[in-house]
Amino acid sequence: MTAKISLRGVGKQFVVRPSRDQTHAAVLDALRDIDLDIAAGELLTLLGPSGSGKTTLLDLLGGLSTPSSGQVLLDGSPTTGPGLDRGIVFQQYALFPWRTALANVTFGLEQQNLSRAARDLRAREYLELVGLAGFEDRYPHELSGGMKQRVAIARSLAYEPDVLLMDEPFAALDAQTREQLQDELLRIWRTTGATVVFITHSIEEAVYLGQRVAVLTSRPGRIKEVVDIDLPGREGGTDLRSDPAFVAYRHRLWQLLHEEIARARDAGHRRIQPDGTEGAA
Amino acid sequence: MSSILTDPTTRPPRSAEPAPGRPEAAAPEAVAAQRRSLVHRVERSARAGVWRSAAVVLFLLLWEIGPQTLITPDTRVFLPPLHVTLGAWVDLVRDGTLQTHLQASLTRSVLGFGIAVVGGITVGLVVSWYATVQSFLTPLLELFRNTAALALLPVFTLLLGIGEVSKVSIVAYAAFFPVLLNTIAGVRTVDPMLIRAARSLGLSQLRVFQKVVLPSAVPTIFTGVRMAGTASILVLIAAEMVGAKAGLGYLIVNSQSSFQIPQMYAGILTVSLLGLAVNLGLVRLERHFSRWRPDATGR
Repeated sequence: MTAKISLRGVGKQFVVRPSRDQTHAAVLDALRDIDLDIAAGELLTLLGPSGSGKTTLLDLLGGLSTPSSGQVLLDGSPTTGPGLDRGIVFQQYALFPWRTALANVTFGLEQQNLSRAARDLRAREYLELVGLAGFEDRYPHELSGGMKQRVAIARSLAYEPDVLLMDEPFAALDAQTREQLQDELLRIWRTTGATVVFITHSIEEAVYLGQRVAVLTSRPGRIKEVVDIDLPGREGGTDLRSDPAFVAYRHRLWQLLHEEIARARDAGHRRIQPDGTEGAA
Repeated sequence: MSSILTDPTTRPPRSAEPAPGRPEAAAPEAVAAQRRSLVHRVERSARAGVWRSAAVVLFLLLWEIGPQTLITPDTRVFLPPLHVTLGAWVDLVRDGTLQTHLQASLTRSVLGFGIAVVGGITVGLVVSWYATVQSFLTPLLELFRNTAALALLPVFTLLLGIGEVSKVSIVAYAAFFPVLLNTIAGVRTVDPMLIRAARSLGLSQLRVFQKVVLPSAVPTIFTGVRMAGTASILVLIAAEMVGAKAGLGYLIVNSQSSFQIPQMYAGILTVSLLGLAVNLGLVRLERHFSRWRPDATGR
């Protein structure tokens, strides 16, 4: 197995600014000793309780921050900052409200040496891939949540990154739209052959999407276990979620996750925000 | 005041005739129904138009009739009815006096306003770009902002005389702060999520500023520009009243002191029309630049 992404003993610490109930600055362990290999073309889901450093890990993969210890390797060489070889899809869509759907998708393409016509053509192609043909000229506020996330996915896919990093992208959507987009994602993943790292706190979503599910411990986040998901008949229109094998995986992951949630509760952990500040869990 | 101006329904109802050219497309009853609903719509917008302009019309009526019936002739000299004022206004236009003063005022306010907009946006961007500069300058800026510009008018007159330079300077000074502070606010309130998204695409700091921070701040900046437009007219008229040889403020004060009361009111009327026009234009401009905002159309 050739690893597309390798995490080698990755740790991340934040300095917490003094607050009312904590008078001195403290160092906070968000991630510790993460070792993980992700194969090219794999779809890996990352499951963890809130405050387990999922977003911190994604920031490290995306190059938005640097690890305090260890290394993040992409194709065998350490990452240096963000780049167009990785695309990030955020939970809150993060669309540019002053740009139309089409112009949002071309945003990343503007970093490349492409003519305007070529950019527009490519953007239309990807809007069609996510099922939004005909919505090119809409502004984000004219789109529903599901449509916004489709635009965001198209934006990240349009510059054809090898790796797609997704940070709880469907968490803000209603159940029906979420299931629909999960199927769309699987279809897109098969079409593009991209490596996908998908963060979620939903066990069902992790099982449904992932070829493997990596379970994180509560803070400091470590890899608790990596579970291989081997489900037959993913392509068919069957109700996979009620398949006995699916239910068994679901239960297994539920046990793993709930040990961690209980542990976090006992420790009275507070949630770490991506910028290193703390908020109530 | 601006809520009246920003409401699109205040625009005069467009003459709504049934669309010609396709009479065979619909059955006669449908055409009749269409015409009925059209008549209804015209009626409704006409009624809304009447209601909205009622207060202004009443005020003008009071101005016309009040001085002739309610007050004694010797006070009437100080408050001539509307038609006398309008007559004076027409005379002023006819002999070109009004145009001269209007041009003087416009030149000063456009110059001062232009300097303020360019300066305010430039300084605002620089200040908000460098966090240390911002924390250093903010207290001083707050101090200046909260000093009424007209309080500084004597200073401007002392240092720059009563010529054009001092007028343009005080206008620029008064209009500078709304632009500056709104630019800073606009840059500061950029959604950090958007910056993260742009950074994740590998954009450099400068690029992020150019492609994310700036466009996201534009509507807020234009709100500042609109406020600056209003401020520049306001301050200019006051400045012209204190010491000038031309301009609408001068026209008003000079007419008063030479007892040409109708001319004075004609000047005041011109000032308020000018203010309305400037505000209307800037509101349009502001709306054009914030049309991507969901609330921009509903304001």
